Amino acid sequence: MRTDVWLVIAGMAVATYLTRAPLLLALARRPLPPRLRLWLRLIPLAVLPALALPLILVDHGRLMASPAHPPLWGAVVVFVLAAWRVNLFATIALAVATVALLRGLG
Amino acid sequence: MSDAGPDAAEEGPPSGRFRAGFVASLALVPSVFVYGTVFGGLAVQAGLRPGQVWGMSLLVLAGASQFVAVPMLAAGAPAVAIVLTTYVINMRHYLMAASLAPAFRGFPRAWLALVAHWINDESFAIAVAHRNPPDPWFYLGSAGAIGVAFLSGVPVGTQLGGLVAEPARWGLDFAFPAVFLALIAVQLHRWTDWLVALAGGGLAIAVALVLPGNWHIVIAGVVVSGVAALVLEPESP
Repeated sequence: MRTDVWLVIAGMAVATYLTRAPLLLALARRPLPPRLRLWLRLIPLAVLPALALPLILVDHGRLMASPAHPPLWGAVVVFVLAAWRVNLFATIALAVATVALLRGLG
Repeated sequence: MSDAGPDAAEEGPPSGRFRAGFVASLALVPSVFVYGTVFGGLAVQAGLRPGQVWGMSLLVLAGASQFVAVPMLAAGAPAVAIVLTTYVINMRHYLMAASLAPAFRGFPRAWLALVAHWINDESFAIAVAHRNPPDPWFYLGSAGAIGVAFLSGVPVGTQLGGLVAEPARWGLDFAFPAVFLALIAVQLHRWTDWLVALAGGGLAIAVALVLPGNWHIVIAGVVVSGVAALVLEPESP
């Protein structure tokens, strides 16, 4: 293995910390104007689907929207159970089991 | 007190709110732990020493970028390329940090500098679904659970190998989108919430089809929340 592993790790640690600390420190300091507060409240609503939907529907740059794609059915299970306010643990367990089962059959 | 509703817990002592965040995150602990073992196992197979794998996990603490960095390290990629790739993959933290910040008003700056290291996708999702802006102690409880799960999985993986050879075969990879999806579902109250969520997901899919890496999260997150914040009316407090 190369000799600069710790140097790379240190660089990765600094780069990652620079994505986490600056805005947390800057925006936690004072009361914020209403429109900025609105923006901060809307970020999760935009970011969480932006994290989730490509994980379900995109694989290596290809759209996976066919009924033979197990994660699609996992997503249906999640949405139905979440609408019924089933607790998170049971929701995740059933969704994971559904995907595992369909992959096992497929 | 019995009919005080969920607000009662948020007014309670920090220890109770921390515990609530910890407990609320237990659903994800098995998957995060298993992915920690998989990372540990893969990284030692790629030629890293266990100490380096633990060091990277503790100091970087961002699973996706670590999974990408290890094969790059093994393939002899330039250090600068690995660090830049890590930065780009983790740029989504800017959005989460901004969104979490109002919750931590009044915390000492030294605390914030430490809290920043524990920003992660899963705890962010769990905390904002519970309350937005989140409860800081609830968030810290969640980050504790997720952090401990990952950091205890990694050494198990470096010593024993990944506990599960193919997590995807058992559907464990699906735990992550599943939890994000379940937590979006409980946040959709107004039709504008639906619009923002659908636009965020739709734009992210479109960008993910043309750009590799994690750009879709950052682009969809900034563009959709930014446009919505300009167009919608801030509620009067």
